[in-house]
Amino acid sequence: MKGTQYYIVAEHTFCVKAADSILALMQNYEPFRTAPIEDLLFGLTVTNGSPVDYIEEWRQDEEGQDTICGHTEQGEPVFEFRFGGKTAGWLVCVPGYRSATLHLSGFQTKAALDNSLMIQFAMASACLETVLFHAAVVSLDGRGYMFLGKSGTGKSTHARLWLQNIHGTELMNDDNPAVRIKSDGTAVVYGTPWSGKTPCYRNICALIGGIVLLSQAPYNKIVRLNGIGAYAAVVPSISGKRWDSRIADGLHETENMLASSIPVWHLDCLPDANAALICKETVTQDRK
Amino acid sequence: MKIKKGFVLRTVCGENVIVGEGLDAINFGRMLCLNETAAFLWKKAMEYGDFTADDLAGALCQEYDVDQAQALNDVKETLDNWTKLGVME
Repeated sequence: MKGTQYYIVAEHTFCVKAADSILALMQNYEPFRTAPIEDLLFGLTVTNGSPVDYIEEWRQDEEGQDTICGHTEQGEPVFEFRFGGKTAGWLVCVPGYRSATLHLSGFQTKAALDNSLMIQFAMASACLETVLFHAAVVSLDGRGYMFLGKSGTGKSTHARLWLQNIHGTELMNDDNPAVRIKSDGTAVVYGTPWSGKTPCYRNICALIGGIVLLSQAPYNKIVRLNGIGAYAAVVPSISGKRWDSRIADGLHETENMLASSIPVWHLDCLPDANAALICKETVTQDRK
Repeated sequence: MKIKKGFVLRTVCGENVIVGEGLDAINFGRMLCLNETAAFLWKKAMEYGDFTADDLAGALCQEYDVDQAQALNDVKETLDNWTKLGVME
């Protein structure tokens, strides 16, 4: 049996059309379920499929996970997902990413589905002042504090240190929060169904209180980044296909607004309680 | 000469910055801040496509109150810099 389910993430709506057995895998999306709606940002159809022919443009290799980007001869964007060299599926999108079909190989179905929805979400919302971050985010006193850094820097560790040492802190998302600039110019961070290895799928949001880029160091020290420094800190943490100039323009708009309106910091840190305390002292006193 | 494919001039917090966004520039991994004159030259270079130092010096003289020799000097210095940084070919 096939069914359609509707979801709302960061106030953007989408639907997934798939066999019931596939929909049953989407437990992490349950907090984001909504009643059927007509005005959707995008729709994804999931089928069992065979290899899709496409021309490769670029590939990203991350810890044994390959994402290969390309396009069909007709110009439709294609993404192939491989895990340990084995293909899980091919995502074929219409230009603009409003609708797409995921062709499953039968291997790593859940991961292919999550990757497809993250890509479609990021691409379809890029020109709507929305970005999908690679970050851990906590909330404290109604504000969201985002921790950025390269893979393995300790984003999740730093977030956990806040939870353990700062009363009132909650984890909003551990890997892929969404950020939106609202029409009044405020920046809001949202929990999403995507949270890396930590099952933290919360349909919540908060005004952003600060963004902190983390680096490992043998000491703890925090400095404020302004202008271009803030922009350069934020850009590498945002997913996108920047060689598509329409998407690059949209992401730049949002990144520039974040860099000019949100306090951005660089924290050199140890994985210790003191790092969380110093960070918290500095970033929470600078609310504006 | 020409600007390599994939580089884009962006306004970041009111400043002119060159970023690598295209497939050919995606691993550039840094940003170049341009002053007002350099940003003007960049825009002219993009407009011309294929250009010479003389072309840009001519454009500079039309826009700013500077003599040809000084303009050519400034342009060459900027182009040397861009070549070293790998944004030009």
